[in-house]
Amino acid sequence: MKFKNMRPDGKRPRSKVLSNLKPGTLPVVMMALIIIVGYALVNGLPKPPAKPDATWSRLSTTGVFRIGIDPSFPPFESEDGKGHLKGLDIALVDEMVQQWSRESLTTTVHAEYVYTGFDGLYDALRAGQFDAIVSALPYDAKRTEDVYFSHAYFDGGPYIVVREQDTITKTHADLEGKRIGIELGSTGDAFARRWQKRFQYDLREFNLPGEALRALKQGEVDAVFTDLIAFNEFARTNAGGKTVGTPLVHEYLVVAVRKDSPTLLAQINAVITAMKNDGRLERLYKQWLVEGE
Amino acid sequence: MSNGNFPFSKFSILVWRAIELSAILMLIYALAAPPPILVTLGPAQTVQTTNPKIGVHTRLTDEADEWKIQKTLAMVREMGAPWIVEYFPWGYIEFNEGQYDWAHADLVVDHAERQGLRVIARLGFVPLWARPRDSTPSYLDESRYQYFAEFVAQFVTHFKGRIEYVIIWNEPNVNFEWGYQGVRPEGYTKLLATVYPRAKQADPAIQILAGALAPTLAPPGSVDAMNDLEYLQKMYDAGAKDFFDLLAVHAYGWTSPADEPPAANRVNFRRTELLREIMIQNGDASKQVMITEGGWNDHPRWTKAVRPAERIAYTLHAYDLCRQWDWVEACAMWAFRYPFPTQTYSDYFTFVTPDFNPKPIYYEIQKYATGR
Repeated sequence: MKFKNMRPDGKRPRSKVLSNLKPGTLPVVMMALIIIVGYALVNGLPKPPAKPDATWSRLSTTGVFRIGIDPSFPPFESEDGKGHLKGLDIALVDEMVQQWSRESLTTTVHAEYVYTGFDGLYDALRAGQFDAIVSALPYDAKRTEDVYFSHAYFDGGPYIVVREQDTITKTHADLEGKRIGIELGSTGDAFARRWQKRFQYDLREFNLPGEALRALKQGEVDAVFTDLIAFNEFARTNAGGKTVGTPLVHEYLVVAVRKDSPTLLAQINAVITAMKNDGRLERLYKQWLVEGE
Repeated sequence: MSNGNFPFSKFSILVWRAIELSAILMLIYALAAPPPILVTLGPAQTVQTTNPKIGVHTRLTDEADEWKIQKTLAMVREMGAPWIVEYFPWGYIEFNEGQYDWAHADLVVDHAERQGLRVIARLGFVPLWARPRDSTPSYLDESRYQYFAEFVAQFVTHFKGRIEYVIIWNEPNVNFEWGYQGVRPEGYTKLLATVYPRAKQADPAIQILAGALAPTLAPPGSVDAMNDLEYLQKMYDAGAKDFFDLLAVHAYGWTSPADEPPAANRVNFRRTELLREIMIQNGDASKQVMITEGGWNDHPRWTKAVRPAERIAYTLHAYDLCRQWDWVEACAMWAFRYPFPTQTYSDYFTFVTPDFNPKPIYYEIQKYATGR
């Protein structure tokens, strides 16, 4: 077959676009196309399900979820002296095992608690004495080298507490020149001192958060920086106060698992996310932190 | 020779280009990297304080950056504390037998001096060459006591006129701190007897502190520890009196207020008074006491911790008690700052975070000590 403008060597003529390309450009373009198409294929195609980790496989088979806990921190976890645990963390674990039993496992899952001193929780987790730490554990960025942390299920940082009729205060910047009540030495105290010069806070120190909140109620201070636990405990018997805004400092509480347990982590995160979305977590806050049981 | 061909192959050119590119990248990196922080000793400072006995135990042993050493010590001064206790591990300084590396120790002492601080040096930590394989750094065989004595002599000679006080060992009444040899007051006394004359020979002005006992209610016969009151008496019984100038005391309050009365069956801050009584009973009333560790912890979960406000109140009260006690020369609380978080309850003993954020207790002590 003969082409128009046939080259003298008898080969097919190049297209104009290709002819205009600088030498060496074509391979680069081709390589880029291959990479783009390859990336799209790899990421676009449905992946086979990842193999569950050994912890999750064992949990699925035996139905036992082993948890490290230091039951000395109400309202998150405490023991009644007869071996019965109660608290927000216990309720959270109950939700996990119930959801796993319902959704993804053929066996019924139940929780087994391993009592461990708070300082020993990380070491015991790494030594395989349990599968996860659920013990009002604060998120710690420096620990992320050693363990995986779940999504936060509670923020224990201090809030601004003002009187019910205060409609002006939205953030700590709205408290310029005001009298701030703080528990001496607390995180709220540290925050207030950091901003004291900038906002000319008149700091009033108290030994206990309840004393600061009582001073707020009596009009001796204009705001208190304290955490939700202390506020709710006080508010149970003393009306007239409210929290505003978001925590001044974040102190997230999380669940920790070993780095060899990514499936377990994903399952824990799925439960926490679901609980946030469907209001179960909010109900637990109300039950354990606001109402007190 | 030129025959019209290029003298280098394409591969050689590529290699040269790669080398050129690497050199350019390295140059860019070198120019872009921040220069090392220039640290100078700075002008001589003095500590302004209303209580000249306030001290803290610093933790600069593992602090590598000079600017951090300087900043730590400057913050101690600014808090109003004229005293620091610092640890100088034998194994770090005399890593090889007879070879002394004073570089890091000099950094600490030079900066402390410049900040107007008085250094109480705690000595211990046996180098590898001076102990059996697989033993702990707190293990020192009696046959090696003279090696430690020689190190102490070298130390006090090197720091003559700059360091006035050295503590011999740490908490020897705890088995762990005594190299798991079994707690023996007689053994520790023998160590003192070996070190004391050699140190005095090197620097007659040096003041030797003994004890630094862990406050403990360990029952008789415990393999882990010996009750500190019992241990001190046994030290005297073994003849320790002639081999120390001051007693170092560890005074932890745990959950009790600073003024809780002392009792043999209680660990609290005023247990110091019971140790003092034993000194008096053994004819050592003229010797002073230095509290070289002590204080309270405000971890939210630790069973021996108190609330932050209590920690502040108790610490200030303790400093004040020390001011009143004419037999106490200095009162150094554990611990000013760690170089890195320990990730345990221990972090809640500190006054300043590893990244130099003062905790409220720092400001309260500063207010107490300087009126600021």
